Amino acid sequence: MAGKWDLRGDTPVSGNPKRTSLAQKENDEVGYTFCDGCNEVPFCGIKFYKKGNVVTRIESWPGFPAAPICSKAYATLQRLYHPKRLRFPMKRTNPKGAPDPGYERISWDEAYDMIVGHLNRIKEAYGPHAAFFYVGDPKEPRAAVQRLAAVYGSVNYGCESSTACRRGAQLAEMLTYGFPTMGDLPAEETRVMLIWGTNLAYSGSPFMCHGHFMDAKERGVKFIVVDPRNTPTAGTLAAIHLQPRPATTAALAAGMMHVIFKENLEDKEFCEKWIHGIDELKSYVSEFPPERVEKITWVPAKKIIDAARLYATHGPGGFKTGAQGTTHDLNATNNHRGILLLPAICGYIDVPGGILKPTEPLEEMAPWFDGPPKFSMRDKMTEMKGHRLDREVFPVWAEIFWEVQTNHLVEWIKEGKIKAFLGWGFNTMIWPQSHEYQQAIAGLEFSMAVDYFYRPWTHHYIDLVLPAAMCYERLAPFAFFKRQIFGRTPVKPLGECKEDWKIALDIGVRLGYKDLFFNGDVEAACNDILGMWGLSYEDLRKNQEQGITVPPKGPEKYRKYETGEMRPDGKPGFMTPSGKIEALSTRLEKHGYPALPEYKEPMATSKEYPLILISGSRIPYITHSKWREDSPWLLELQREPLLTINPEDAKKRGIYAGDDVILKTAWGQIRVKAKPTIMVPPGIVGIMHGWAKANVNELIPRQFDPISGFPPFKEVVCEVTKEVAK
Amino acid sequence: MARYGIVVDLNRCTGCMTCVVACKEENFTLPGVWWNRVFEVEGESLDRIIYFRYACMHCDNPPCVEACPEHAINKRPDGIVLIDHDKCQGHAECAKACPYGVIGINPDQKYFPGEKLPLEENLDPHRQHPPGKASMCTLCVHRIEEGREPACVAGCPSKAMIFGDLDELDSPVGEKLWASRQVLVSKGTNPKVSYIFPPNSFKYVEERSKKEGTS
Ligand code: SF4
Ligand code: SF4
Repeated sequence: MAGKWDLRGDTPVSGNPKRTSLAQKENDEVGYTFCDGCNEVPFCGIKFYKKGNVVTRIESWPGFPAAPICSKAYATLQRLYHPKRLRFPMKRTNPKGAPDPGYERISWDEAYDMIVGHLNRIKEAYGPHAAFFYVGDPKEPRAAVQRLAAVYGSVNYGCESSTACRRGAQLAEMLTYGFPTMGDLPAEETRVMLIWGTNLAYSGSPFMCHGHFMDAKERGVKFIVVDPRNTPTAGTLAAIHLQPRPATTAALAAGMMHVIFKENLEDKEFCEKWIHGIDELKSYVSEFPPERVEKITWVPAKKIIDAARLYATHGPGGFKTGAQGTTHDLNATNNHRGILLLPAICGYIDVPGGILKPTEPLEEMAPWFDGPPKFSMRDKMTEMKGHRLDREVFPVWAEIFWEVQTNHLVEWIKEGKIKAFLGWGFNTMIWPQSHEYQQAIAGLEFSMAVDYFYRPWTHHYIDLVLPAAMCYERLAPFAFFKRQIFGRTPVKPLGECKEDWKIALDIGVRLGYKDLFFNGDVEAACNDILGMWGLSYEDLRKNQEQGITVPPKGPEKYRKYETGEMRPDGKPGFMTPSGKIEALSTRLEKHGYPALPEYKEPMATSKEYPLILISGSRIPYITHSKWREDSPWLLELQREPLLTINPEDAKKRGIYAGDDVILKTAWGQIRVKAKPTIMVPPGIVGIMHGWAKANVNELIPRQFDPISGFPPFKEVVCEVTKEVAK
Repeated sequence: MARYGIVVDLNRCTGCMTCVVACKEENFTLPGVWWNRVFEVEGESLDRIIYFRYACMHCDNPPCVEACPEHAINKRPDGIVLIDHDKCQGHAECAKACPYGVIGINPDQKYFPGEKLPLEENLDPHRQHPPGKASMCTLCVHRIEEGREPACVAGCPSKAMIFGDLDELDSPVGEKLWASRQVLVSKGTNPKVSYIFPPNSFKYVEERSKKEGTS
């Protein structure tokens, strides 16, 4: 290091160095992309520097709406040049079930011929719906893969959101509000925030937004944080921290509503006019006085009262809910509906500082999460609805979402309804009892996966693995935030890697739909979408760093339910069957499910299983099963699966930090290292999912919330014992 | 003359590890070498976990400088303490002398042994780490000289760190300085990294620091 700068000299800088962008060095070119580190879309912005085709340094994209970047984003640089990256298509040469699949390098031509051959044969033999299309992590190819499924003719498209992630909460939002929302950053008008079941400091959505929340706290916004765990979000923000027993959400929400109604703190006019089933709700929550709720939820009655009063009297109030923190139990949908009704009875919906429905979302666009309806051929998918595999088992889901709830994949494969599976970024460990899915998938006639690395827990069971270009090497999709659109400037992919969109388009072309798949040209596919706003990718390049804003027709508007601007038919009200916020869900009623946000007692602890297991909560530098071997920088931060256990519970069991312990439920057991910490309260243990050598999802039963179909990742009872060295 | 330092507001730090990995990405330190770390601190009178960002304190009176028999460590007039790898012989006397335990010796190891990654061609000097030499945070002097903050500070999503000239009292860092406290003051090092502590946390955080220095 010596010699390059003067060890003895003063710096040539005057004043204080700033949080500025990298000074551009000679020969360094600048590039832009979006991070795919945590499977979030919209994605955080990365500005990078390159020498020729080699990316050398990265930083946050200045001024990008989703910034700053997190530890995983910084590690994408190491991942990009990881020697173990997949660089060529590979096919298995040994039969399934053999200890070694015998993967061998093949050409793209051979790979595509194989895929197209199987797809054509399967369509002929069983019909197109027997091919299942799936997008896991990253979410980026969703639009392209939906289009591929639709054109091929299969309605059976699913994704990880429809397995265990965001869609469960979204289902509750659609049933209750008629529009999706996880809340917003606190606005200037916001005076109180409810943060429920999400650790924003580690998994803020849509980006590392915790700094904004800290700023809001410093300007006087009061925070109520609901989370069983002692998270840094609670630690740094909470005026009141409620730590409920997992899966008792609806009871806690009912308890808070009980206080609000009893003390006449609700927005009476809003309740009367805009909440369907308000009387039934009142009468239901009247059975949940704080003392009873304390017994159910473990939250002290006084805290319930304080939180309810603070939220109802210190308005306007916003909220921030998690993608899935509150929907991983057997009462997922109604638990989450309980949360949603709190701001509703306080009248905080679509008011400044409250919970907003965007006035002017980008026309013809849906989040990438869903894909733009026209490009993704939503009409065609809707037309084919009758062939959906999930219609009988999850009817409410099938009525609301166009993508299939995937958790019954095992049954459908066993029943011969699915014969082929085409997955992008697909991971079998997402499912409870993962081995059942692995075995089912191994029984398919054809399966393929697109990925960055060879991941044995998935790729061991399939036929073909295709190498994906990483974020620095992808053009599609572009990013948009509200009405602002950004493009990226990829480098050439390593080896023979291709970007996800390219693979989907190429398959479409080879199936014989050259025009519909833009002759395999990714930029042309993007232009097809951008054309809706009179733009092209070239325009994005010309406005690279600042992006392009499609001007809105008018200003932000509020209380749009009064003016008819919430519904496409222009009638006042919400986009629900009753036209109101539905405390009593007409859809749930129709399908015979509990129509109020009813509490259901979770699995009971016992002498054998006295603890409750929470899995799926994030540590900041891992996402799902990614980011172990993907980046040694990150792996060094945590090499082993760690079980967080309260020091009291650890002590009772003679467990100390670093001890090997057995975590056991009625469905399985794994061996992990113990980490006694107050992160979890007594009675609860927590572990990160996605460790292949200790897959916690093997400990979770294949039982599902009947409405959303979500598994109980945060409900199952367990025991932890010290592993005695032999 | 500037006197560079950092105030870390532990009320805002969440342990997100962005600074830790931003440092890796900026400096390409070797396996096992973490110039910038974050400790989780718990204690009986604490109802939350305190996340404690930890790296070289760039002391005003750095014992590491005195301890080096080769005179390889120097404090620049702007206060940045740097190791001269041309002179360093890897005696590790500095590591023993540092009360904070933030100096290590570069191992003869690579993240991908036997591989030369495309981005390892023509590495910038600050990304080169000769094995066997002492190694510690440079406060990203190469960035400061370009008019930019250290990578950890620039990367922190919670804006928990404020960097600048501690003598500029009306600057953002100067304004926070009064509320901050140094750790291990008794060692006489006068560290230029100081902390704003959440209630009841000072004792535990300082203990953690002491443990690092003696381990
Ligand atoms: S913290 Fe340690 S290494 Fe850094 S200047 Fe002080 S004594 Fe030297
Ligand atoms: S980046 Fe900031 S908030 Fe995150 S661990 Fe470092 S100092 Fe703490």
